[in-house]
This record gives sequence, C-alpha cells and structure tokens, in this order.
Amino acid sequence: MTGPWVEKYRPQTLEDIVGQKQIISRLEKYVGEGSMPNLMFTGPAGVGKTTTALALVKSILGEYWRQNFLELNASDARGIETVRNNIKNFCRLKPVGAPFRIIFLDEVDNMTKDAQHALRREMEMYTKTASFILSCNYSSKIIDPIQSRCAIFRFAPIKGEEIAERLRFICENEGFEADDKGLETIVYFAEGDMRKAVNVLQAAASEGEAITEESVYEVVSKAKPQDIGNMINKALMGDFLGARNILRETMVLQGTSGEDMVSQIYSEVSKRVSEGKMEPDFYIDLIEAIADCDFRIREGANPRIQLEALLTKFI
Amino acid sequence: MLWTDKYRPQTLDEVVGNNKEKKIIIDWVDNWKKGNPQTPLLLVGPPGIGKTTLALVIAKEFSEHIELNASDKRSQDVIKSTIGESSSSRSLFGDEYKLIIMDEVDGIHGTNDRGGVKAIGDIIKNSKHPMILIANDFYSKRLQSIKPKCTVIKMPKVRSPSIRKALKEIAQKEEVKANPKALDLIAKKSNGDMRSAINTLQSLSDKETVLEPKDVEDLRTKDDRSDIFNAITGVLKSKNPQHVREALRVDEDPTLVMEYIAENIPREYSNKNEIKKAYENIAKADLYFGRAQNSRNYGYWKYASDFMGIGVSSSKKETYKKFTKIQTPTIFTLMGRNRGKRNLRDDLAQKMSEKMHISHSIAISMFPYLEIMFENDELAWEISDFLELEENEIKRFRKKKIPKKVIKKMEEKKAQMRVEERDKRFEELQNQMMNAPEEIPEAEEEIIEDSLPLEVPEPEEEIVEEPPKEEVPEPEEKIPEKEENKKDSEEEPKKKTDKQVSLFSF
Repeated sequence: MTGPWVEKYRPQTLEDIVGQKQIISRLEKYVGEGSMPNLMFTGPAGVGKTTTALALVKSILGEYWRQNFLELNASDARGIETVRNNIKNFCRLKPVGAPFRIIFLDEVDNMTKDAQHALRREMEMYTKTASFILSCNYSSKIIDPIQSRCAIFRFAPIKGEEIAERLRFICENEGFEADDKGLETIVYFAEGDMRKAVNVLQAAASEGEAITEESVYEVVSKAKPQDIGNMINKALMGDFLGARNILRETMVLQGTSGEDMVSQIYSEVSKRVSEGKMEPDFYIDLIEAIADCDFRIREGANPRIQLEALLTKFI
Repeated sequence: MLWTDKYRPQTLDEVVGNNKEKKIIIDWVDNWKKGNPQTPLLLVGPPGIGKTTLALVIAKEFSEHIELNASDKRSQDVIKSTIGESSSSRSLFGDEYKLIIMDEVDGIHGTNDRGGVKAIGDIIKNSKHPMILIANDFYSKRLQSIKPKCTVIKMPKVRSPSIRKALKEIAQKEEVKANPKALDLIAKKSNGDMRSAINTLQSLSDKETVLEPKDVEDLRTKDDRSDIFNAITGVLKSKNPQHVREALRVDEDPTLVMEYIAENIPREYSNKNEIKKAYENIAKADLYFGRAQNSRNYGYWKYASDFMGIGVSSSKKETYKKFTKIQTPTIFTLMGRNRGKRNLRDDLAQKMSEKMHISHSIAISMFPYLEIMFENDELAWEISDFLELEENEIKRFRKKKIPKKVIKKMEEKKAQMRVEERDKRFEELQNQMMNAPEEIPEAEEEIIEDSLPLEVPEPEEEIVEEPPKEEVPEPEEKIPEKEENKKDSEEEPKKKTDKQVSLFSF
C-alpha cells in the first residue's frame, strides 16, 4: 500500500487502460508511426482521459518522456498568462531524446473564449516542435478553431463490468475480500467514473473489513454532504433563509461543487418520491427546475446563485 | 415606493439652494420658449445632489422629453440612431421642442464607449432641440471637448444642515421615530449626497423602533457601499421601471449588485410566489452575466441588468409598506470569516493536483473519501507521506494526530522498501549497461539542452531521491548534472538575453 489507490493503480501503458478500446487502438497507431496530431480528449470525469494521455506520452516519447512533457491545468489559479508563459518557455526548446515534445492541457473548457483564442495561436506557432493533448469535459465549450486543429476522441463512461473487474484486480492485489454485491454497489454509485469507484473502494477497505454492500453504503452516505436533507426540509417548511444559509455554508466551508450539490439534491428528492414522501406532481416540477439548474451550471452560470434560485422552488 | 421619488422636488422653487444657477436656468428656458436656440446646459456635480431632479423639473416646461444614459455602452451609431434624428429634425407639426436629457456624459465605463464623446459633440452641433447634459466630474477628459459648447452649471454638494432638514421632514411625514442625532449623523455621513441620505434613512427605518445614532454608526461612510444600498432600495421598494433603471446606474460591479439584491429579496418580500419569481429573475440575470463573461459579449449585460432590476422589482404585486434593513450578503462574511479554512483547502487541492494529475475541483470532491481513509492510522500516514502534507493539513482530514508508534513503524517500513527498490534498480542498471552502452552520450546531450530552460531540473532531482519504476541510469546522470549546475551559473547572463529575444519575437 502506498498512498491513494487512484494513483497507485493508474494504468501505465496504453494496453492496460480499461475500456475505450477503439480510442486506444487508434492511439497505438500513432505510437507505431512515431508521430501524432494535436489531440482533444473529451468526456466526463474519471473515464481515463489523463491516464490515456500519460500512457500515450510515455510510449510515444520513449525513455526521456519526462523531459519532453509538460502537464498544465488550464484553470490554473495563477491565470492564463502563467499557462501561456509555461507553454512558450517549453516550446522554444528543441525536443531532446524524443521525436517531439508534448503539452497536456487539462480542463480546457474552463478557459475563457479569449484565452482559447490565445491558445490557438500558441498551437499554431509551435507545430514543428510540439503537439498538444487537450482535455475537457464538454467539447461544446471549445471554440471551433481549436476543435478543427485537433483529432477529437470522445471518452465514454466506463462500463460497469469493466469497473468491477478492475476493482476485483485491486482487491486481489491488496489482499482484501470483496463480495460481488459490494462491488456491484460501488459500480452503481460510480456511474462510469473509475476514479470515484476506486476512491469508494479504498475508503471502504480502510475500515479494515471485507467489502460488502453495507460497508459501501456506509462510505457513500458518510461521504455525502450531510446537510442536504436538512436543507431541503427547511425549504419545504418555508424557511427559505435557513435553507439558503445551509446551502452557502456547505458550499463555502466544505467546498462542495455546484454539480455535486445538484446531484445530491436530485438523489435526495428522488429518494423521497420513491418512498412516497413526496407528491409526484410536485416532484416533477422540481425535476424540471433541477435539470434546468444543472444545465445552467454546466453552461457557466454561477452555481451558488442558480442553486439558491432552485431552493425557492421547494418553498 | 422610494422616498427619493416620493419626495422629489416638483418645481424649481422646491429645489434646495443654487439660487444663482436657478436664474440662469429660468433665462435659458425662457429663451427657448421665445424661439431663441440656446447652447446645451451642462450640469456638473457629485452624485445625489439633484442634477437629474433639476433636469426633470426643467423638462416640465417642455412638451416632451427623452432621457438617455450616455455611459450605457452606447457607441456612436447607437447614439446617432436613437437621438440623432430627433435632435436635428423637428416635428412636422408645430414647433414643439423636445428636451433631450443625457445623463452620465462623462461615462464611468471609460474606453468601452468608443466614439461616444465625438458622437455627443456632433449631436450638440446639429441639434435643433434643447439639451441638458449631466456629468459628475468637471475635470473629466471626456468633458473637455464638450464643455466649450455648453452653458456649464456647476452644482456643489448639498450642505449637511439642508440634508438634515429634508430628512427631518420626511421622517415626520412617514411617521418614523428618529433621534435627531441619528438624522444628523446620516446627513454628515452622506457627504453631501441627498439621495444617499434619503435612501439610508429609508433602509434603516423601522416603524416600531426609534432610529438611534448607533444604528447609523454601523454604516460605512457614503462613497463606498452606499451606492449599492441606493440601488437595492430602488429595486426592492419600487415598481416603476424607470426608477429601477435609474437606481441601478451605479459604478459597481453588476454581479456584486446582483448579490445584494438576491440577499435582500427574502428579507423584503414575504410572499412565497414573489420570492420564487424574483429569484427566477436573479437566476436569469446570472445566466446572462455568465454568457457575457464566456463569450466576451458584454452586450448581454443589459438583459442581465433588466432581469435583476425590472424583473425583480415587478415580481411583487404591491410595494411593501414595511421597512426592511438592507443587509450585506452573508456569503461575503461567510467567505471572509473562513478565509483560513479556504486557503488550507486550496493548498491541499494544489498538492493533490500536482501529485495526482487532477484539477482542484476534482481534488476537493475527493476530500470526503480522504476523511474516511484518514480514520485508518497507517493509511493516513501513507497518504500524508505521498502528498507531503504538513501537520495542519493532516488535521483537515482527521482530528487526532497520527500516533507516534504508527509513524515510526511506517517510516521504518518505507526505508526498508527503499533499500529493496534500490537494490532492484541497481540490478536493472547493470543489465542495461551491458546491453546498451551507446545510450550514455545521448543522455548527456539531452541534459545540456535542458539546462538552458528554466524548468526541467526538478523532476531529475526527484529521480535521485525517490524510487519511481522504470527510470534512467542513476550514477551516470548524477555526474553530468553537477557539471551542468556549474555551467549554469556561468551562463547566467546568456540566459537572460535568450529570454529577452523571446519576448521580442512573440
């Protein structure tokens, strides 16, 4: 055991990568040819975009990949200028010990349109020395000129069986007992997100006992923001100010993201309707508001404001 | 209803002070009525002293008037198309004059309004209608070309006894009980701004309790937030679209204004459906602020501004008779109070993002799982070691310290693993050297190139320290690297010129 399993069990080579078979076989062709165009990996979290990029970089650049590889996060807190300077400094050097250099830029969809245009120029300027791998959740947020300069690979959520198989492999390797029901439950909660699945597995394993349906449920409910139910109750009773306070505290203190909040609210009301604790009519109205809120947050609205507006629908 | 509207002077006589200026204005109006065109009036002075009020009083002398906000991101074309025509052509029937009132001519939004000043200049030149221009800053660059073409009326700040008198009258009419000292304090804090003083009075008033000086003391002096208080009071207390728009013309970040409105909606509105509707409008405003930001098309701001202004204000059936104190958004105090916690969170996210190739937001979403994992002493140590966490950072994930015994045990285990790893690598290395001796020169070449830039060295140092898997020959690497360090320092000046060249070329 060394540190987080998500890192320890990150596949190191293209052939070890779980799922995404078609993508991998195309990427292996690039490795065979020893060259690659600019690439764009799109898809939800935890489906292997970064893992694939790292594995590709290692096999296409060979032994000295570290020296010829730059990994950057486009939503770097220090701003887009830092990102651009890093790219410039990195690109003006010739590749050494490798055919070319590679820049991996994560979360490109968080860049403003202006920054994306600047990036486009950067990409044109260094075509001879460097290739880019861009990664994002939604390719729709990327400006067309960048999209047209990249070969686009769409990563799908990983299939349940494939996640289960990987979890089983980890359990064997770490010497943990896991029953099928337990793994199934993890797969259910992971929704195709391998990182989440492995995190739940390690958290459940850290309790020291076998991984069962119960132990997984315990982890999942512990990891949930605790106050969501409470917040909804307050709102339903008409105490909007109280509910809004809980929302703000959860987001500021725990740093829960807007998207997480939306999905927690969804699963909370969804549970209530199936337990008969909420009228279906009212539920459906809420769903419309929740879906709308979800969409707007992904489109780039301020998550907290949108969630506050969503809360008013409960009162 | 906004008290600033309710008690707005309706005639020139009611306008406080400014007797000399009043005379000029009366003459100006008379001359127009006699058919003698006059140069436009330029009213200059700080906010809240009655410039707009004065303009509206004058407007009553004319059959029609148009109000425009010059700083409303209107570039030349827009100004010309909206008032260009009406200013140069007079109505076909009769010689009725239309008064054109143009507010904020010295536009606070600076460079965005390209050509705006020139357009105003052109309009002044061609206008056959009476015009009143309103501006805040007499010395503004934007006024320099306009001033010579106008009759300038400089309006001073309102003196605080006049403000106090007005406040007292309003308080009496509204049946607000107020300690005279409190009114005095409001007058002083308003810094000569009548509008802000009246709005402050309205936002602090409460039918049941007596307004005391201490209620006023908490307020910051006018010139920072009071503009926002005006805006919010305007949106929440009024239902008149024109007043709402006027109230929202503040020199503040519009998303900040939106936060203030959102904060106070449930405090002012008590009907559930009104809260829903109002918040729906806030959400729409936010959506367009987001779209403006993402597309860099700030034309969307006007929609956002209408949603949060007219949208919110018209969400109520009637204006509320009650008095509500305007509050600062709790989200700011919440964020301020927890700055330490948030910094800690961000530092942690940064460490995780470097070691685990993940973004900050994903790192933060992993926190709950880490909290569970940290309940296990050994795992807590391992992860802390992996992420190189400091003691206070570990405390974020578990309250108890990791027991000393566990730490000792884990450190020993790690040391032992290192020895094993080193032996294994040494073996590999020997095999490699036997198989591929020609690789050494290549490695050297690479290092020379790489020492020129400012980055790469760190990962190489790590290679020596830590035991990653399939890594490069160790002993060979170490020696050239040290040589390079020496060369590095000799080559310092050269490196700098390199950098300069690059700056020029891009």
